[in-house]
Amino acid sequence: MTDYIFLFDMDSTITKVEVLPTIANEIGRLQEMRELTEATMRGELPFKTSFLERVKILGDISVKEVNEIVSNIPLNANIVNFLKENSDRCYIITGNLDIWISGLMEKIGMKNHCYCSKAEVENDKVKKVISVIDKELMAKQFVQPICTIGDGDNDSGIAKIAELSIGFGGVREIAPSLLQNINFAFYDDLKCAEFLRKLL
Amino acid sequence: MNASEITIIISCAGMGTRLGIGSTKALVNINGKPLIIHQLEQLKEYDDIRIVVGYQAEKVINLVKNFRTDIMFAFNYDYRTTGTAASFCKGLLGARKYAVAFDGDLLVNPEDLKRFLAYEGEIVGGSIPTTDSPVLMKIKNNQVVGFSREDGELEWTGLAKIESKKIIPADKHVYMMLESNLPIDVMKIRTKEIDTQNDYEKAVEWVKKGYND
Repeated sequence: MTDYIFLFDMDSTITKVEVLPTIANEIGRLQEMRELTEATMRGELPFKTSFLERVKILGDISVKEVNEIVSNIPLNANIVNFLKENSDRCYIITGNLDIWISGLMEKIGMKNHCYCSKAEVENDKVKKVISVIDKELMAKQFVQPICTIGDGDNDSGIAKIAELSIGFGGVREIAPSLLQNINFAFYDDLKCAEFLRKLL
Repeated sequence: MNASEITIIISCAGMGTRLGIGSTKALVNINGKPLIIHQLEQLKEYDDIRIVVGYQAEKVINLVKNFRTDIMFAFNYDYRTTGTAASFCKGLLGARKYAVAFDGDLLVNPEDLKRFLAYEGEIVGGSIPTTDSPVLMKIKNNQVVGFSREDGELEWTGLAKIESKKIIPADKHVYMMLESNLPIDVMKIRTKEIDTQNDYEKAVEWVKKGYND
């Protein structure tokens, strides 16, 4: 029995598709969103800058509607099963906004186990972003050893400080910077979940 | 032996400098296919395969995941200064009852590999000595009783199946990790190791002839 606390990225680790591009697609602004997402993955834009830009693109849609879309996004079933079976030891750390992902967090049993960015809502629209998460700072607060699971450039910081770090490339390519900071990589969510169980 | 008891760890972290290909040896083309793909084709019935990557990790990963996605990749960032034992240990976490050490530059006759993996219990693979500076194994009653640079009946191939819980981490050669557990059963297998240009040419011919001389 280990003491590992498992910190999961949400986008493309829990979800089977990328969240913000999926929403952007619904309103016909996929191209802009994709360019920003790709540049962030490559490490060309700081996460905070890129995230605020991406929120702007989606700023005009109803928050409720986005929350609904995110709640119904396809998920990596084997990873979600692991989360549900071990919810006391799992946390989500995501740059996404609380107002968009609350439904999904509830659905996967992570409502009270989620660290994310926060925004204020007015008339069902994003009024302003209150905070953008710094994953590394957040992860440093954990007292128990941590195991991180993610795929993006903004997961590199926590991977570096984690006792154990895993890259998940089953949805999109693992960011090159993250590949330099992980112990293991998986491209199949069943295999990834199998391995996580061995770390319990 | 059941495949569900076995974890196979292929070490592909190093640079193929002696071979002069400027890439990791897993990527070298043997009769139309990269070496690592030849190895994976022989391991289709095994479902816990770990590949330890270092030099050109991304290239190896991209190649492998197009062939098979259920592989676990382990990273050895210290590939410049460590040996195969270090790579093997990186892939060991959460391994099943038996762990198989398999070098990324080794080709094994498919029938021999099958026999080797199916063998009940621990086993070390030995070949008729052929390389320039072999690590030799002293054999007594079909068991390895010692490793030596000077004398021995068979050459250490790098292929070994050992109980995971007995493995003591090290960072040089895998055979050094076995020394405290000797004697271990040995099986004579037909292999080609690819270290030099000469080895490479021999290996290509060998594969073309159906893994036979």
